[in-house]
Amino acid sequence: MTIERIQVGSKVVLHVTGRMDADNAVQFEQQCQSCISEGITKLVIDLCDLRYVSSMGLRSFVFIAQKLQEKGGELRICRLTGLVKQVFEITRLNQVLPLHDSLESALMEG
Amino acid sequence: MIHWNQRSWRAEARGLPGTPQSLTLVAKAESLGPATEFVRKGAQEANLPESRMLELDLLIEEILVNIWRYSYPKGAQGTVTVTYSIPEPGELAVEVGDQGVEFDPLKASSPDLALDLARRPVGGLGILLLKSFAGSLTYRREQGWNRLTFGISANP
Repeated sequence: MTIERIQVGSKVVLHVTGRMDADNAVQFEQQCQSCISEGITKLVIDLCDLRYVSSMGLRSFVFIAQKLQEKGGELRICRLTGLVKQVFEITRLNQVLPLHDSLESALMEG
Repeated sequence: MIHWNQRSWRAEARGLPGTPQSLTLVAKAESLGPATEFVRKGAQEANLPESRMLELDLLIEEILVNIWRYSYPKGAQGTVTVTYSIPEPGELAVEVGDQGVEFDPLKASSPDLALDLARRPVGGLGILLLKSFAGSLTYRREQGWNRLTFGISANP
């Protein structure tokens, strides 16, 4: 898994590529945590190149989304495909986390 | 005799029906890679399409993570044995066995998916994924072993 960080105004986009599993989900969580420690409260996760996520990855998404919500911020996730999209739908995380079809939509204010 | 042994070994390596293949690993996170590689080999022998491979990876990961978390108490050294067989072309059966604490994931309570974000527990979704992606899923406790078996087919 690789994570590329892109600053867009006051928001940070993390573009995650590859597979997020029990071995590396903690790296994603640490990267998000470091954004939160910098005072960033609006985090966009672009998953267009993420092919695989397991329940250990989902833990990280829920944990980070809750942290941001506590701080009045928001975790926005966009461009899910294939198995990753299926996993979010089965666990109904698509109903509690704002999922967006495009990066532009995830970056919109409001 | 040597030739016969060689032929026999080759037949097993191809995973022909009736010749289950097993791999025993230490029950720890580092074993996930070798276990995944092993069952993928079975999937190729069973002619499962590439599109099912990620689902297979997910099934084996969720089962192994459960064993590390629940079957073996913290600090206990344990092993996990992964066995695959090919009941017929296009079908793969995988059994994961461990000798840890009795744990039947099929009896685990279902997570409440209606909770809002603030009240959602961070975990507890692995068994739901397991039940959703496995074509069949059975558990049995047998002489100190947890044995969880799942099936995955070329056609979902």
